[in-house]
Amino acid sequence: MKRIDTEILVIGGGATGTGVAWDAVLRGFDVVLVERRDLTHGTSGRYHGLLHSGGRYAVKDPHGAEECIVENQILRRTHAHCIEDTSGFFVVTPEDELSDYPQRFQKACKEIGIPCMEIPLREAFRREPLLNPSISRVFEVPDASADSFLAAHSTVNAARELGARILTYHEVTDLLLEGADGDRRVVGARVYDEVDGQEVEIRARMVINAAGAWSGKIAAMGGAEVTILPSKGTMVAMNHRVVNTVVNRCHMPSDGDIIVPSHTVAVLGTTSITVADPEHLKIHAWEVQKMLDEAEKMVPGISQARALRAWAGVRPLYQERYEGGGRDVTRGLTLLDHKKRDGVAGLLTITGGKWTTFRLMAEATMDSACEQMGVQRPCRTATTPVPGVDQGHYWLGHRLHDVESERLQGELVCECELVTRAMVESAVRHNPTLTIDDLRRDVRLGKGPCQGGFCTYRAVGILHEMRQRGSWKGAMGDDEASPARWEAAYLQSPAHAAHEDGVESESDAQEAETPPFVPNLLLRDFLQERWKGVVPILWGQQLRQERLDELIYLSLMNADHLPDAELASPVTAFYHFDVTVRAEEPAHD
Amino acid sequence: MIDLLVIGAGLSGLVAAQTAADAGLRVRIISKGLNALHWSAGTVDVLGYLPDVGTPVEAPLGAVESLQRPEHPYRRLGRQRVEAVLSDFVSLSQRLALPYKGAAAQGINLLLPSPAGAARPSFLAPEAQHNGNLREQSPMLIVGFHRLRDFYPELIAENLSRQGYQARAAFLPIALITDRDDFNTVQLAGAVERPEHVQRLGKALQRLARPGERIGLPAMLGMERHNEVMAQLQKTTGATIFEIPTLPPSVPGIRLFRRLQEHLRQSGVRVEAGMEAIGASTSGRPPRVDWVATETSARPLRHRARYFLLATGGILGGGFASDHTGRVREVVFDLPLSVPQRRNSWFRTSFLDPRGHPVFEGGVRVNDAGQPVDEDGHILYENLWAAGDVLAGADPIQERSLEGIAIATGAAAGQSIVATHTAVNGTSAVPNGAAATSSTRNSS
Amino acid sequence: MTAHTTSWHSVGTTLDACIKCNICTSYCPVSAVTDLFPGPKYVGPQAQRFREIGQPKSPDSSVDYCSGCRVCNEVCPTGVKIAEINARARAQMVEERGLPLRNRVLGRNELLGRIGSMAPRLANFALQNPVGRLLGEVTLGIARKAPLPRWSTEGTFTDWLAETRDARLKAEKKVVYFYGCATNHYEPFVGKAAVAVLEHLGYEVLVPPQNCCGLPMLSNGEFAAGGDYYQRNVNKLGRFARDGYDVVGTSTSCTLTLKEEAPELLDLAGPDSESLQRATWDIFEWLRERHEEGELRRDFQDVEMVLPYHAPCQFRAHRVGKPAQEILSLIPGLDLRESHARCCGIAGTYGYKAEKYEIAMQVGAELFDFVREQGREVALTACDSETCRWQLEHGTDLPSRHPIEILAAAYGLYDLETRQLREGG
Repeated sequence: MKRIDTEILVIGGGATGTGVAWDAVLRGFDVVLVERRDLTHGTSGRYHGLLHSGGRYAVKDPHGAEECIVENQILRRTHAHCIEDTSGFFVVTPEDELSDYPQRFQKACKEIGIPCMEIPLREAFRREPLLNPSISRVFEVPDASADSFLAAHSTVNAARELGARILTYHEVTDLLLEGADGDRRVVGARVYDEVDGQEVEIRARMVINAAGAWSGKIAAMGGAEVTILPSKGTMVAMNHRVVNTVVNRCHMPSDGDIIVPSHTVAVLGTTSITVADPEHLKIHAWEVQKMLDEAEKMVPGISQARALRAWAGVRPLYQERYEGGGRDVTRGLTLLDHKKRDGVAGLLTITGGKWTTFRLMAEATMDSACEQMGVQRPCRTATTPVPGVDQGHYWLGHRLHDVESERLQGELVCECELVTRAMVESAVRHNPTLTIDDLRRDVRLGKGPCQGGFCTYRAVGILHEMRQRGSWKGAMGDDEASPARWEAAYLQSPAHAAHEDGVESESDAQEAETPPFVPNLLLRDFLQERWKGVVPILWGQQLRQERLDELIYLSLMNADHLPDAELASPVTAFYHFDVTVRAEEPAHD
Repeated sequence: MIDLLVIGAGLSGLVAAQTAADAGLRVRIISKGLNALHWSAGTVDVLGYLPDVGTPVEAPLGAVESLQRPEHPYRRLGRQRVEAVLSDFVSLSQRLALPYKGAAAQGINLLLPSPAGAARPSFLAPEAQHNGNLREQSPMLIVGFHRLRDFYPELIAENLSRQGYQARAAFLPIALITDRDDFNTVQLAGAVERPEHVQRLGKALQRLARPGERIGLPAMLGMERHNEVMAQLQKTTGATIFEIPTLPPSVPGIRLFRRLQEHLRQSGVRVEAGMEAIGASTSGRPPRVDWVATETSARPLRHRARYFLLATGGILGGGFASDHTGRVREVVFDLPLSVPQRRNSWFRTSFLDPRGHPVFEGGVRVNDAGQPVDEDGHILYENLWAAGDVLAGADPIQERSLEGIAIATGAAAGQSIVATHTAVNGTSAVPNGAAATSSTRNSS
Repeated sequence: MTAHTTSWHSVGTTLDACIKCNICTSYCPVSAVTDLFPGPKYVGPQAQRFREIGQPKSPDSSVDYCSGCRVCNEVCPTGVKIAEINARARAQMVEERGLPLRNRVLGRNELLGRIGSMAPRLANFALQNPVGRLLGEVTLGIARKAPLPRWSTEGTFTDWLAETRDARLKAEKKVVYFYGCATNHYEPFVGKAAVAVLEHLGYEVLVPPQNCCGLPMLSNGEFAAGGDYYQRNVNKLGRFARDGYDVVGTSTSCTLTLKEEAPELLDLAGPDSESLQRATWDIFEWLRERHEEGELRRDFQDVEMVLPYHAPCQFRAHRVGKPAQEILSLIPGLDLRESHARCCGIAGTYGYKAEKYEIAMQVGAELFDFVREQGREVALTACDSETCRWQLEHGTDLPSRHPIEILAAAYGLYDLETRQLREGG
C-alpha cells in the first residue's frame, strides 16, 4: 500500500475543499487534497454560477448577505478571471408590486452595505430588451456570473505551485482513528485510487471534511454524527444568453426566480427539494415546468425558446436537528469542531455556505485547525490573488475573439463552445481524465447546442491518439511527470492553448503505462452523461438535435456495437440513474 | 398544373418523384432545406438489428416476415415488394453512374467499417464503401489526415483489430490535397479532384501500403469526379481503395443526393429548396387536398397539384414538431400521429437502449397503398400519400433501416400514385424517359 | 438609433433552430474558396451565441466576408435565418467600429445615380478609365476591375416617363411600378420594357414618387440610414398598398427589401409596413399569378435563341421559386438553359470591394463556366438582378438582359440588341 504523510488532508474537491487547500498551503502547511471523482464533480459544478452580491439574502438573512458582499468584493480581486462582471437586476414584476418587499429590499441593502441603485426603466429595457415590459421597478446590484470550474482549477493550481498535492479520483474508504473512546483522534484516511486501482494511506495532523453533501458520510467514518439535509436544486440552461445581466425577482427568495447568464447560456434556477441521497439527482417534469413558468414572469416568451439541458445540484444544508424543509434551513456556513462536539480530535467538518463564500469558509476552517494544532498562522487568501487574474474578468466573446484573431477555426473540436484541439490536449496532459465529462468541466467541451453530437467522437479520437503516443501523461498527480507548468487559469483560452508547447511522444506506445481511460468507454459514458441531462428538456429543436446525434452514433458510428461493452468507469453507474421523465409531482417543500 | 407535388427532398421523396416522373407524371419537389442524406453514411441500410430486441440481422429481407409490429412499413409492403424496389434502386444507381452493390452472398448484410471502427450492417453500398466489406478477409490499412477532425484512423484500426479484422493505421499530411487551414470533407472532396492532388495522394498511399492490403480512406474521394478519383488511386497504388464515412457533412450521401437531383432534372422535375410547407387547404367529401402553402417573404405561396406526397421526415427531418407539453404534431396537414402524446413515455434511461426510445417509433399511419389513415383505417385525403421517416411503425435509426424504408416506401407510394393516375385517366401513362431535358425548348 | 429592438421574433433568436449539422457550410460558395470566411454556421448561429452589445472588444470580424447570397438559408433544414443573423452582426460591427468611407459611398446608390446622371458621359469616363479606377481602388478600396455600371446617356427612366406621359395607357386595371435606382439611372430600358409589358397586358402603370429601397445601406451594416430610406418608401407607397394596388418591381433586391428585408432586419412593424409587404411582388412572381389566373397574353413571337438564365440570389430570399424561368419557358423557340450555379459572386456591392473582388470572381466561376458550357451559339444571358447582370457580363464577355426585356421582345415590343422599345410597341 502506498503511504503519504502530510499535515493537512482535505477531503473534497469542490469550491470549499479547494479553498481550504489554498488557504492551508498559503499558511505554510503541507497539504494533500483527495476527491473521489473530478474537481467540482459535486455541487460546485452543479450550481447556477451566481456570484452573489448579497441582494438575494438582504431581507431574509442580513448576516449571510453581508458575508456575500464582502466576499464578492474579495473574489473580484483574487479570482478576477473566474468572474464575468454581468451586474444584476432585481425586478419588480406585476406580481410583486403590491408587496412592501421592494422597500424592505432597498433599505436592507443600504444597511448591509450592498451597492443598490434603482435605474430608469428605459435604461433597463435598453440593456435587456427581452425583460417583461410590465416590470415597474429595477434595482441594480453587483451580482456577477462565476465560473466555478475555472475557479477550482485556478485555486488548485495555485496551491499546487506551493506544493499541495491534489489527488482526484481518490475516494476515501475509511478514516484512520487512534485512541480510545472519548479520546479519539483522526490521524488520516485510507483512500482508493481509481486510476491505478490501489489503496493509499494518507496520514495527516488534521483532516478537513469538505465533502459537501457527502460530509455526513465522512464524519460517520470518524464516529461523529452529522446530519446533512441534501437539498436538491434543479436548473435549466437555455440555448443562448437571453439576458446579459443576472435577473432576480424582487421578492422573498423562492423557486425559479433567477436567471443567470453563464458564458453562452442562460441558467434558470432553481428548486429546493430535500432528497434522501445526494446521488439522487432525478429531475421531475414539474420542476422543469416550474423553472420555465417562473422565468416567464421576468422574460415573457422564454419558455418557447430552446432549452439545452437540465441538471440538479445538492446543497449540503446542515441542521443539528432536522425539522422542516430546505428553503428555511440555514444557508450560512457551518464549521463543526468534532473535538469539542464529539470528542474526536483531528477532524473538522465544514459545510453549508454558498459558492460565493467558499474563501471565507476556508478561512474559518483553517483558523480553527490552527487553533487545534496550537499554531498561529494568519490567513492570506483575501489578499493573495491566484495566478491568472491578470486576464481580468472574462467576457462572453473572449473565445470567439481568440479564435478569430489566431485563426483557429480549423482547430475546433467542439464547435459550439469553441474548444480547440490544443485546449483538449492541454487539459488531458495536465489533469487526470477518466471521462470526457472531465474535459467538459475543464474546457466546456460538449456544453453547447449539440450536446456532444459532434465533439464526443472527436474528443475520443484525439484522446485515443494521445494514448497511442503516450502524450496523455502529464501532471497526473506525479510531480516528476509534469513536463511544463500548467497554467490552469488559462485553460479556457484558445489563444493561450495555441501557444503552449505540446509534449510530444518520446516514449512509444509499448513503454507507456496503461492510461486511465478506454476510448470506447469514454464514448459510451459521455453519450450517456449528456443524455441524462437533455432528457428532462427534450422537445422541440433539442429533440431534433438529439435525433441527429442518434443518427450519428447509431446509424453512422454503430457505437452501440463497439468492443468493451462490459467495462464500466467509476462514474458509469452514476450516469445511468433513472433519467426518464416523471410527470407525477411528489410532495416537496 | 402539375400532377404530383412531393413535399420533402430526402431519399423517400426523391425516389417517389423519380418513380412518378418515369411513368410520365409532371412532378415537382419542394423542401424546406436539405436532408438526412447529408448526414448519413450514404449506404442503404435495410435492417441491421431487430426492433425491440436489438438482435443482429444477417439477412434483412428474410427478416421482414418476422417483424413483430404489423404496422412496420416492411411488413405492410411484404418481402417481395421490398426486394423488388431495392433491385430497382440498384438499377437506378447504375444509371446514376454511382452503382450500389450488396454482399456477394445474396441477401445478407454487408459489414462496413464505421468511423468508430464498429462493423455497420448495411445492405447496399456504393462501390467505394463496398470495397471495405469486412466479410472479405484482406488486411486493411486505414489512412487518415492530420488535422482532419472528422476521422480518426487509429481508433478505427484498433477497434477493427479487436473484433478480429486485420487493420492498421497511418497518417498523411493534409497539405497533400489542400493549402486551406479550415476545411471540411465536402471541400476536401472538391480539392482532391484536382489531377495533381490525386496523383500526389496516390503516390503517398503507394508508399504506405503493404502488398495485399486494401486502403481505407475518409469518404472524401471526389464529388462529381468520384469515379475518376477512385480509378486513378487504385491504378497508382495497385491496391483496392475503400471509403469510410466521416462525421457529417457526408460526402457519399451528398453524391447520391446530387446525382438523384440531376437525374430528376433530366426527367423535368425541379427540386425547389428553401420552401417551407406551412399548411394545406382541403375540401370536398371525401376530402381532398387542394393546395399546399409554403412560406415566402411576403405571403403564402399556393402549390396546386392532383396528388400530394408527404415526405417531410419525422422528428429528424422536421416533419414533426413537438413541445414541452408532450404534444407531437405533423406540421403540414396536422395528420394524426401514433406518437405517444405524453413526455413521460418518450424515453428510456439508457441512451443506447437496444429497444430505442418510444417517441421515435411513432408517426403517420398509412394503409397498404401508403395513404394516411385515421385510427379506424379510413383514408384521410383521397389524393394524399406519405413515405419515409414520417411513417409509423419503425424507429429506422435504431433498427438501421433509414434508407431501406425511405426507398421502399417512396417507390411504393410513387407506384401507387401512378396506378391511381392511370386509373383516373383511363390510359397508361407515357414513360417519359429521356424526352425531357433540363432545358425547355418550346415549339410554337 | 440603436440598431434595433429585439424580440423573440427577431432573426437573432432563430439561432436556436441550429442543429449544427454543417449542411450550410458544405454549400456556402464563399467559404468554398477562401479561409477568410469560416462559413455560415460558424459566423451565424454559432458565433451569435458569443455576441452581445457592449463587449470589451468586438469579438469577430470575419462575418464581413459573408456575401449575403443566402445559399445557407435555402439549404438549412431547420430554418435558421443565417444571412440575416450575419447582416445584424455586421450592423453591430459598424456601430462599434464605424463604417469605411468606401462602404458609405457604395451604400448611397441613389445619390451616386443622381450625381452621375447630371453629366453621365463625364461620370462614365471618370469611372471607366484605368486611371480613375486605379484611383478608386487606392483611395476608396473599390476594386479596379469590378464591373461598375454606366450611367444612362439617354436620360433617366423618370425623365422618359415624364416625356411620354401622354402616350401611357390609361385603364381600369392599375399596378404600381417600383423601378429602383439602377433602372432609373443606369438601365432605363429595363423600366421601359416593364411598362410596355404591363401595358400590353392591359394595366395602367402608376409610378408614384419613391426612393432608394435602402438595401445597399442595410447590407453594409448602416441600419439607421437604411431604415430611414425604407420608412420614406413606406410613407410614399403605403397608401397605394392599403388601397389594394399591387406594387411590382423589376429589381429583385428592391422588392425583397420592401417585402421583408427592411422590416425584418430593423424589427419594424406597423400597418403601412405590413400592407406594403403584402402588396409587393417581383414582376415575374406577379406575372406567374396572372398566368395561373389565365390572364397572361400568349401572343408571343418566336425568340429563336439559346439563353442561359441565372436566377439571382435574391429569389432565394423571396422563396417563390423561379418565376421568371417559368414564364420565359412559355416563349416559343426559346431554348432556356437553367443555371444551377449558387451565386454570380457580386452579391450587391460585395464584389466591388477591392479585398473581395477575387473571391467574388472565384465564386462566380461556377456560373461563368456554366454559360461557356452552353456552346458558342450563346449570344446573350439573362438574369433578374442588375448587379448580377453586370457581373455576368464581366465574367463571360457576353451581354446580359433582364428577363422582362426577353418577355417584351417576345411580345414584339422591344429590341433585345438595341434595348429600345419598338415603334408602336
